[in-house]
Amino acid sequence: MGNDQKRTAGTMIVRLCLLVAFLGCRLPVVGTEEDSGPFSTPFPSPLNADALLSTNCSQLTLKLDFSTKVVKHEYIVAFNGYFTAKARSDFISSALRDVDAVNWRIVRRDNPASDYPSDFEVVEIRQDTRSSLLTLQDHPYIKRVTPQRMVLRSLKLTDPGTDGASPCNDIRWVQKWQSSRPLRRTSLSLGSGFWHATGRHSSRRLLRAIPRHVAQILQADVLWQMGHTGSGVKVAVFDTGLSEKHPHFKNVKERTNWTNEKTLDDGLGHGTFVAGVIASMRECQGFAPDSELHIFRVFTNNQVSYTSWFLDAFNYAILKKIDVLNLSIGGPDFMDHPFVDKVWELTANKVIMVSAIGNDGPLYGTLNNPADQMDVIGVGGIDFEDNIARFSSRGMTTWELPGGYGRVKPDIVTYGSGVRGSGLKEGCRSLSGTSVASPVVAGAVTLLASTVLNRELVNPASMKQALIASARRLPGVNMFEQGHGKLDLLRAYQILNSYKPQASLSPSYIDLTECPYMWPYCSQPIYYGGMPTIVNVTILNGMGVTGRIVDKPIWQPYLPQNGDYVDVAVSYSPVLWPWAGYLAISVSVAKKAASWEGIAQGHVMVTVASPAENDVSNTGEMTSTVKLPVKVKIVPTPPRSKRILWDQYHNLRYPPGYFPRDNLRMKNDPLDWNGDHIHTNFRDMYQHLRSMGYFVEVLGAPITCFDASQYGTLLMVDSEEEYFPEEITKLRRDIDNGLSLIIFSDWYNTSVMRKVKFYDENTRQWWMPDTGGANVPALNDLIAVWGMAFSDGLYEGDFTMADHDMYYASGCSIARFPEDGIVVAQTLKDQGLEVLKQETAVVENVPVLGLYQTPSEGGGRIALYGDSNCIDDSHRQKDCFWLLDALLQYTSYSMTPPSLTHSKNRVVPPTGTDRPLPQRLEGNHLYRYSKVLEAHLGDPKPRPLPACPHLSWAKPQPLNETLKKYKYYMKILKRRK
Amino acid sequence: MVFRRLLRKRWVLGVVFGLSLIYFLSSTLKQEERIIRDRTLLEVRDSDHHIQWKIKFILGNSSRQISQCRNSIQGKSLLTDELGYVCERKDLLVNGCCNVNAPSSSQHVCTSCLANGCCSIYEHCVSCCLQPDKQPLLEHFLNRAAEGFQNLFTAVEDHFELCLAKCRTSSQSVQHENTYRNPQAKYCYGESPPELLPI
Repeated sequence: MGNDQKRTAGTMIVRLCLLVAFLGCRLPVVGTEEDSGPFSTPFPSPLNADALLSTNCSQLTLKLDFSTKVVKHEYIVAFNGYFTAKARSDFISSALRDVDAVNWRIVRRDNPASDYPSDFEVVEIRQDTRSSLLTLQDHPYIKRVTPQRMVLRSLKLTDPGTDGASPCNDIRWVQKWQSSRPLRRTSLSLGSGFWHATGRHSSRRLLRAIPRHVAQILQADVLWQMGHTGSGVKVAVFDTGLSEKHPHFKNVKERTNWTNEKTLDDGLGHGTFVAGVIASMRECQGFAPDSELHIFRVFTNNQVSYTSWFLDAFNYAILKKIDVLNLSIGGPDFMDHPFVDKVWELTANKVIMVSAIGNDGPLYGTLNNPADQMDVIGVGGIDFEDNIARFSSRGMTTWELPGGYGRVKPDIVTYGSGVRGSGLKEGCRSLSGTSVASPVVAGAVTLLASTVLNRELVNPASMKQALIASARRLPGVNMFEQGHGKLDLLRAYQILNSYKPQASLSPSYIDLTECPYMWPYCSQPIYYGGMPTIVNVTILNGMGVTGRIVDKPIWQPYLPQNGDYVDVAVSYSPVLWPWAGYLAISVSVAKKAASWEGIAQGHVMVTVASPAENDVSNTGEMTSTVKLPVKVKIVPTPPRSKRILWDQYHNLRYPPGYFPRDNLRMKNDPLDWNGDHIHTNFRDMYQHLRSMGYFVEVLGAPITCFDASQYGTLLMVDSEEEYFPEEITKLRRDIDNGLSLIIFSDWYNTSVMRKVKFYDENTRQWWMPDTGGANVPALNDLIAVWGMAFSDGLYEGDFTMADHDMYYASGCSIARFPEDGIVVAQTLKDQGLEVLKQETAVVENVPVLGLYQTPSEGGGRIALYGDSNCIDDSHRQKDCFWLLDALLQYTSYSMTPPSLTHSKNRVVPPTGTDRPLPQRLEGNHLYRYSKVLEAHLGDPKPRPLPACPHLSWAKPQPLNETLKKYKYYMKILKRRK
Repeated sequence: MVFRRLLRKRWVLGVVFGLSLIYFLSSTLKQEERIIRDRTLLEVRDSDHHIQWKIKFILGNSSRQISQCRNSIQGKSLLTDELGYVCERKDLLVNGCCNVNAPSSSQHVCTSCLANGCCSIYEHCVSCCLQPDKQPLLEHFLNRAAEGFQNLFTAVEDHFELCLAKCRTSSQSVQHENTYRNPQAKYCYGESPPELLPI
């Protein structure tokens, strides 16, 4: 169920490349003070700044002084975690209660951060200092107590030249350098900050000169000293090429060109940099200077690349028996079947593929292919302070939507910002991006492979197992951002050199209570009657390229730990190929726990078998048994009004079809490709709803497949799919019986759709959108029964609604609404006119919001809003979660929001008789991607309604005693965190 | 001062100019030369030059005894060894050859292949391609291999490697870059690309 990778014919996609984004980043030449793109800022160490300055304008030198002194009576109390100000003060007072240290106080810190939890407090203690400090230190939540230091830091620019005419000696420079955090402009503000603020906290550190030779930071020199330098390992760099006589490389075995440009040289510097991180032997050293480099030029200087070039180049890599392949390129098109199949073929031929996860963060749902594949090592980026780099793509894979749930990716993270590598012709430069993080791992993998005596044991699965088992988990970061954590080269070396072929799981355990690592699972407990929670586990099989699961996975609940309160269903890949497969675990609560609250535990046992290739006896198979501990938190089923159902089934996206962005202003990102899921680009909305106490579940099946009496509100946002006639009737019945409905629609205008078609260079064909931002004609069919409809108007503009600033970004209006309903209108710009004729016109009284109580006894309520951008994380400018709250108050609790109903913007509901309702774009190809329509002579027709998904619950084999081993196992895991 | 006056001398400027010109010309020429050398890595120097294909064909009775076999490695359940036997993974011997006595093994299998030389199963394509009677077809293909393929096929060393490489999906297998021309029969040992099916 969960993980079937739907294979729809006719996929058309842009292979967007990291490279493009990557190339947007500049060298850390800091000369221009404008434009700090997400990739532009290099590392903020004074050392770096000095080096940069001197390269840029030699007559300028930068002096950095800094001194510290202890501040009397002030101490920094560091805690084990992040706590609110109140909790911190409680801890300190409880710790100091015993010593009667009356004379202490918390030094107030008035800064914007004080609203957030912190891991330290500054305390002034004037008496009894020593004993107080000792008691403080004993408190379980207090990590350490240190004297407060005052840091005095000054940066000085001195200019030995007498004439101030140098262009470098610009006044703006001086201003900038006065900041103690050079190069990091507005880094604390959201949006433009290069460092990932993430809402997480990294411990405060002095800015210091960090050595940025990434190979040394990862302690590659330890392996070098043992005599391992990558020799005998063939590494392929698929990139922009490499010039022939680059001084950094001693073992370039071959360069080949697969593009239509007649050169092998790198015109951009990207390929050179990547090759340098892997194998440079001087200046900025790479990981494996003695490895055999194979340079594949698959990207032109104009940043063009085609799937067909890759296919041929990959074939050559297979022929040449490449061991490690770095691909710092990726795109959103995981339905490019020829490409995906080829990557499988490549890893099946024992090529270890390392790829960059993408530069589309911090938005969720932005993983790039091929890094999102199970057989590929997908690498995310961190900075040198161990924060996830803002640009690093994240969120679950979206292949499995709508029926299933995404896999955990990236696999690991490593340094990706401000990393130094080879310059285009010579010297070193520093660059940022996951394209940088990927060769760091590829270089490490190459070096690791060369340390193994029995190379037979090194394969894509065993290498990935070693990397993820040894990775260091970053605190405060969830698994959909960091995967298994930060690359640890030496531990990976130890694991790999004692490796026995086996199967393993990623993630290796399921603890739905563990926050924040297991976000979003830990953010909502499970309860009886809820949609099953799916965890999509990847099975890695180091025993062979193919494998299978023996018999069936077994569910063993621990009776003392209430394991029998949980039902588990398991589905899995019939064949584990290449090197990997999925294991989808669906967890549900048993009926007898409907009003129970507590923790339940158990485990799933899986046995994997592979043909024994090196077994002389040739008697068959190798097997490996893996245990997957499961721990869940159960709560009593919440009341209906608190439960919201998110309709995922009717959200379509790219790939495979051209579903345009919901905000037409975002021209450089024309596709809707983030999955439209509450855990991808609607993550903020989900978090908000959780914080308001709602329980949000996801419907991955037709509307006919849920019990409406369980839910207060069905939430449909930006739906592109059509509806089965049975769904329309069922929804009508449900609403008569008390279910409420909220629809956030979006634009749909056939003239605009024709206008936004474009010639796609990547697939060499014209692309016409198959719907608008939403499928308004289909939505109108759904809500026609209540006398409602959206229009094909296209509006944009700022306005104020109930004292909130709002931005309407490419939305539609309400064309029809029942006359006893409440309709709110606003003054907006006609964006349709702007797109089509480049004219500006202001339209007054555009109905944007409608509220309606259905007339039947106990009937539900319906709320419509014409734009979804304000709850979508991608390209959102102003959020309208307050509006969602107000609408939910209305739909779930029947509380009509006075701020909306009594506003001066309330208008008479439109009857919509003056204008025809929008019709479906003639000749659209929606049926190709739709689960509802199928091609027919004439118009596409709905298919027969599919059966609702059915889970077969595993027959539990209860264990009566707590497994000591399990406890021990969890302890190890905890320690590793 | 002396230096500056020297610079004004016409002959000094002349020498400077001359040297610059020589440097410019030499580096430009060198660049050109290098590009040519680079290309030779990829392409034939001139079109008359015939590539020496190093293919050794397995002729006649191929059931000769060999101690070690290469095989097609990648298959989900099937493998083809270099003698053209297709077998299931469980019937693979330790030496990499198919167990010829196993019921699943058979030599030169073309069952999933169409008349145009395209097969729906990769291992069948390789096995069929290893049939001795395919030699003229392959030789013909090699002699007029498409430009983009020369990287690949100049590196191929024998009949088995040629069949492994030829049967893989490639730039010839796709339309609009991201769609197979024929998603069913996409592995071709023959000269023609897979039949073009509408999307």
